[in-house]
Amino acid sequence: MKLYDLIRGNDKLGFIDALSGKRYPAGSFHRSLEIDDHRGIVFIYCDNLVGSVEVLLNFLDSRFAVTLLSAQLNSSFKEDLENRYRPYYIYDPVRTDISGFELFRAGENIRLFRSRQRTLYPVHADIKLLLSTSGSTGSPKFVKLSDDNLVHNARSILDYMPIRPHDTVPLNVPIIFVYGFSIFTTNCIAGGNILCTSHDVLKKEFWDDFHKYQCATIGGVPYVYEMLQRIGFFRKNCSSLRYMTQTGGILNHTLTKTIAGYCATWNKQFYMQYGQTEASGRMAYLDPADILKKESSIGFPVKGGRFEIDDATGELIYYGKNVFGGYATNYQDLNEYQHTNKLYTGDVARKDEEGYYFITGRIKRIMKLYGTRMNLDEVELILKNALGGQTFVCFGLEDKYLAILHLNDELPEDAIKQVLKEKMGLHPGSLRVKYVHALPLTPNGKVDYAAVTDLV
Amino acid sequence: MSISQQFNEAVSKALSVPADMVTDELEYQSIPEWDSMTHLVLVAGLETTFGIAIDMDDVLEMGSIGKIKTLLKKYNVEVV
Repeated sequence: MKLYDLIRGNDKLGFIDALSGKRYPAGSFHRSLEIDDHRGIVFIYCDNLVGSVEVLLNFLDSRFAVTLLSAQLNSSFKEDLENRYRPYYIYDPVRTDISGFELFRAGENIRLFRSRQRTLYPVHADIKLLLSTSGSTGSPKFVKLSDDNLVHNARSILDYMPIRPHDTVPLNVPIIFVYGFSIFTTNCIAGGNILCTSHDVLKKEFWDDFHKYQCATIGGVPYVYEMLQRIGFFRKNCSSLRYMTQTGGILNHTLTKTIAGYCATWNKQFYMQYGQTEASGRMAYLDPADILKKESSIGFPVKGGRFEIDDATGELIYYGKNVFGGYATNYQDLNEYQHTNKLYTGDVARKDEEGYYFITGRIKRIMKLYGTRMNLDEVELILKNALGGQTFVCFGLEDKYLAILHLNDELPEDAIKQVLKEKMGLHPGSLRVKYVHALPLTPNGKVDYAAVTDLV
Repeated sequence: MSISQQFNEAVSKALSVPADMVTDELEYQSIPEWDSMTHLVLVAGLETTFGIAIDMDDVLEMGSIGKIKTLLKKYNVEVV
């Protein structure tokens, strides 16, 4: 069964527009847009509002492969991606004009851009969804996912997640991220209402809506739970809330204890999960009952999945039908989809005597800053391109700061900060820039990333 | 420096925007610079600048510059 058919099968499903308070039954979005019947690519610049959802559902039901991107992406990144992938349609609530595209009314409330040339190119039959590996860098590296991947992931989550038919879930995790997308699909299949909102948990309006619509659940990366702690969320009961979900890293010890105490007092459940875009979503979860007993564990693999730890490297390897079909960096890469069930996660893991898995490190050069995944090699490239080809070395400091080393003592710190602010929306306060005379190198002449951290 | 100058400087620094952008109408999340992360930087910055501790519940009331000014009155900080 196709993902869209599973969603379509839920006749209780509705979408609430947080801005107007209007509820749209899912049926009213069924084939609500006039779109050509082709095999091509659509770019959806998603703002998590009801319009984006309507467009997404229409294209899930079509022969098009869907690419979900952030509406807030810098416009030069958008143009670069469009040149690389040549989408046939674009949905972008931000721009009013795109060169080479015509804007037309596709439905009552929806305007789409259609390519003037309308050229099509071969897209492998199994590609249904393209997701970026990072939210903010505008990386052209997309993960190719099939409808089958998405269905397997959704089914494995539905196996343990206590979603009920009348639940309302807020879309506070952007659906351009695989985690937000999983929350969206599983609740579309088994839940009641999806609250489409762009407000985050620090906004009063978010909580007004949360109480008004009696939301049953909330999700977030560790940073979101830190924000919840800051606003005193765990000090009092939130009566409609039944369970919380988390992914994207390990919570600190104090916060875990706070959340465990909150759950015990008010009879809530907390689902700590482990996943990646390359696995179409989730790979493992920790039973809520084990939150203190097995703190910082990712638990066990989801149904239909299994883990293996590489003897030589300690790398965690996942097997399952939700493993992706390869990366793409331009449209030519879309003519193939490699079937595999094996994923090298890039994470180093161990397994304890009772079989619980723990992530102990990362092999890939990836860091998370305030919940957003960034490929550090890409950040280095962005700086290099913007600042005349100089060398930059970037690495994360405890997932709190991004450290940037450079070799030019005349380069003002502000110039670097300005580039990262403009291109990636990074706050200067989260950056640590340092000039160094020389960089430590490995015997084969590459930057020694294990040694550079000693320089700050 | 007047209270109002201190306020504008604290906001401008936390959000890393020019001081003339700091108007009463400016709302949380209305510009890319004012996101959840800078929001908490701003809360901490105002606490340091004025030597106050903003209540957890009050953080949610800080939806715009105008609202923040109103809220600060509760902490005996009058930003005109």
